[in-house]
Amino acid sequence: MKQRMHIAAVVAFVILVTVTFIVLGQGHTTQRLQSAFLGMISPFLKQGSSLDRKYTEMREGLKSLKRLEEDNKRLTIANKDLSATNQTLRDMEAENNKLRNALGYRERSVFKLMPARIIARDADTWYQTVKIDRGMAEGVRKDMPVLTEEGLVGKTTVVSDHAATVILIADENCGVAANIEGSNHKGIVRGERLPNRGIPAIGLGLLSKDANLTSGQKVYSSGVGGVFPSGVLIGAVKEFQVRQLEGYATLVPAVDLTTIDDVFVVISGSK
Amino acid sequence: MMFFAVLVLSMFVSLIIQHFIGPLPYIEARVLLMPIIMFYGALALPLPGMLTLTFLGGLMWDALNTQHVDAAVEISAGWSIILFASLGAIMSGFRPLFLRGRWEIHCLLTGVCTSVLVLAEYLMITIRRQPVHFIFNDEVWWRIGGAGLAAAFLAPLIFFIFNYLAALTGYELQPERPEPKI
Repeated sequence: MKQRMHIAAVVAFVILVTVTFIVLGQGHTTQRLQSAFLGMISPFLKQGSSLDRKYTEMREGLKSLKRLEEDNKRLTIANKDLSATNQTLRDMEAENNKLRNALGYRERSVFKLMPARIIARDADTWYQTVKIDRGMAEGVRKDMPVLTEEGLVGKTTVVSDHAATVILIADENCGVAANIEGSNHKGIVRGERLPNRGIPAIGLGLLSKDANLTSGQKVYSSGVGGVFPSGVLIGAVKEFQVRQLEGYATLVPAVDLTTIDDVFVVISGSK
Repeated sequence: MMFFAVLVLSMFVSLIIQHFIGPLPYIEARVLLMPIIMFYGALALPLPGMLTLTFLGGLMWDALNTQHVDAAVEISAGWSIILFASLGAIMSGFRPLFLRGRWEIHCLLTGVCTSVLVLAEYLMITIRRQPVHFIFNDEVWWRIGGAGLAAAFLAPLIFFIFNYLAALTGYELQPERPEPKI
């Protein structure tokens, strides 16, 4: 009797798995399942993230007075420095806007941004993703670019009502067509499968062997492919090497992907 | 039934908690709590219960971890169910010893099965990514082995907690004896 029950259980399991494969074999069904599940867990992730922040802030608050004084002094100097830089950047922005207007590219380059907070970093071993606290209700959709004021972060993949998964540019799956500053060469930026001691590594591949890039050259998104807007900083060249079939450059990401807390989702190409 | 619900709920909660546990320092391996609970379930529940649990576990795992980039899906949703069920079946084979109160081998086996799970995911990703590069350096092995080591270390504590919860919910861990021959 028990053996029969076991056989029936195994048969039922096989049927159930087969049906699951058939149903989930259609990409949109899996997306819907993932979106629903993300919607279920996102309130807990937000709550957990908020607790985590409070704990970190409390720990930070325990800094000694001396340390705070030092910080204050350092920040005052940094503030002056940033004010000066800010003024310079404002001038540059004005000039840049003027030039973009002249070229007719303004509409493509000025983004409508949705601020978002990272509520969880992925627990998966082989993927580089984060979860943000904005979803469909806030206008976020699949395949929207995510960036910070420093540069490109990644793009959205699974989107639920109030949360979304962002695949980082440090993931091997996230390819970004790129231009190189001061060069006519083009390539594809991809993450490397294994980060170097936890530090996300990205590289620029499919380059011509004679690209001969030098360290420090900046790499920007080219806009080819339609997902990422053009002109967003991705990183800087660290080292160029010639491989068997292509030129390849390792890059230093413009954004520190391990520490970012706040990002922007480009919810439309122009304001 | 009550204990089964506790296991499913715990698996769900553990998936959330996993997000807030960073990778292990130096070796970058992840602490995977959910498989430990699932493997405990494979030991504590009879075959139909184990299969149902692995089905739900695999579904939740895929709902959270399957990556859709452009049109490509590397580990199709559903594969984790088969993986979990296969590993659960191995654990289930050691059930009689577990029910006699011997846990040592099961804790070690939980570590091994967790590593096998991470390795299987890595192999699937590697095969799906073009061009295929089988990178097996120290870092990869540490990620695979580290996840297993963390699971093996945590397993006694988690097994203890769930044995307590089983008693609390009135679930009796009973061996499945063969029917007497008439």
